[in-house]
Amino acid sequence: MVTASISLRGVGRRFGATRALAGVDLDLEPGVTGLLGPNGAGKTTLLRLLATALPPTQGQVRVLGLNPEVPADRTSIRRQLGYQPQEIGFPRGFTAFAFVDYIALLKEWTQPAARHAEVRRVLNLVGLSGLGAKRIRAMSGGQRRRVALAQALLGSPPVLILDEPTTGVDPEQRVTLRTVLAEIARTSVVVLSTHQTEDVAALCERVIVLDRGRVRYDGPVTDLTGQAAGRVWLADEPDPAASVSWRTGTGRYRNVGAHVRDGVEHVEPSLEDAYLLLRGGSPEHEPTEEVAS
Amino acid sequence: MTTTLAPARPEAAAARATFAALAAREMRRFVLNPLFLAAAGLTAYLLWSGQRSTVTEIDSVDAIAATLFGGLGMMAAFWLTRSMRASEPVVGVTPTTLPARTAALCAVAIVPFGCGCLALLWFVHLYPVSEPVYGAFSPPARIAVLVGQIVVPALGGPLLGVALGRWVRFPGAALVLFLLLSGWINLVTWLTLVHPDSAPVAVLRLFAPFALFTLHSDAGVTAWRGSPWFFLGWQLALCAIAVLVALLRGAEGRTRSRIIRALGIALAAAAIMLVLAGTGGFTHAVTT
Repeated sequence: MVTASISLRGVGRRFGATRALAGVDLDLEPGVTGLLGPNGAGKTTLLRLLATALPPTQGQVRVLGLNPEVPADRTSIRRQLGYQPQEIGFPRGFTAFAFVDYIALLKEWTQPAARHAEVRRVLNLVGLSGLGAKRIRAMSGGQRRRVALAQALLGSPPVLILDEPTTGVDPEQRVTLRTVLAEIARTSVVVLSTHQTEDVAALCERVIVLDRGRVRYDGPVTDLTGQAAGRVWLADEPDPAASVSWRTGTGRYRNVGAHVRDGVEHVEPSLEDAYLLLRGGSPEHEPTEEVAS
Repeated sequence: MTTTLAPARPEAAAARATFAALAAREMRRFVLNPLFLAAAGLTAYLLWSGQRSTVTEIDSVDAIAATLFGGLGMMAAFWLTRSMRASEPVVGVTPTTLPARTAALCAVAIVPFGCGCLALLWFVHLYPVSEPVYGAFSPPARIAVLVGQIVVPALGGPLLGVALGRWVRFPGAALVLFLLLSGWINLVTWLTLVHPDSAPVAVLRLFAPFALFTLHSDAGVTAWRGSPWFFLGWQLALCAIAVLVALLRGAEGRTRSRIIRALGIALAAAAIMLVLAGTGGFTHAVTT
């Protein structure tokens, strides 16, 4: 059995004068990898590269050992790929079932009985089994996200690329989706971009933090969280020594920073704290180039 | 969780099976499109109600099918082609390439083509080719006139809609093109009325996907210059051009170079057919 894998070597992507990604080196194996970063960090560009939707302008991408720049290889990759983009429009008049069924057809599920069974399976996985006949335009934002996720899960692909899959999805559904993704990740490479650090903490073994098109951190989630140990504290006022401070529900301030004064009340760091700490040390502006996602 | 990966098959067979299934799906969507339903319903009604009226020359009635199946069919195919544009981020990363999806959309034109064939049969039944409404054309040429004015526009209109949908972003492009073509056909028909014997005007009249061949006046039915047979060749070349232009979008590598080569051949064929259509047939307008 071939192990699903993705490798990137010196990958860069420009959009005219704008550099979206630069010098990205990554190796991805089965498991869930979380992708964090601020808006415009290049997360969506990276996912589009992995999903063969966009070629790199520099470097080399290999998905399952195949080169997405070669048309025949690209088609082979797409046969084994599930992709949920950040934004997707749905055709007018389509129900959830009809849309996922249409995508299944494009994914070469030509036998109607097998295709319909698969469509029902993925709709069930995302909790839409009772809503297959509902028109997508009449659905809520969270339900639409789940339709978009359902089509990505068709055929349990060895490579699953998800761009903010849990945005707008209610907490119960998020827990269910985490279970589904964890199951798939036993044999598949799952890469998900999100702004929800709790999803990454709950689901991912590995996290990549992108900033201005470059990899800022790549390693186990626990190691990143560990970097914030002793650097998160509570106080009655925002601490000027902290990189980031915010008022919590108790009325006290949670402070995150590299420079900690003596005698402060330390608390257990979360992944979000670690991420903010990492981000807090980054330069405000890169002098020459802009970055877009 | 059940893992139900699609069974491995030879790629060509998989592509063929996907094309057939996708074409069938798109045909169903096209047939259910309100514009196509309106075209089919109106054509049937107008042909049925036309039985009771007197027809003095064939061009006064055979434009119905061209306008409805060709014009409304073009708009329906344009809409169908554009309908998945918003879903392109997902649709575009499936193993079915854009040219394959375009080919499936082009296959949809079989439906209006079939409707055009039925309309032709009904026309021949209502207005037998032996009747004087066809003017001075020979019986085979009369069939060519009918095929060029009923069947081929019904095929070509939707193909043009697919090509337009693949290349033009403006949502009203099909309507604008329909209006432009109607305006052009009216303009060159008026020019023909003024200069019925002019060869350049005949070429201009035939430089369209649809052209009139007869006119009724007090003197009788006038058959205009031009060869209906070569005009058919010109129309079919236009259909081929529409298909190739549509397929060109998203084509890569050898497929792209083959399409471009075929497009060159189709353009040359179209030019030759147009010249022959304008210079062939009657050398001047003939009134009978």
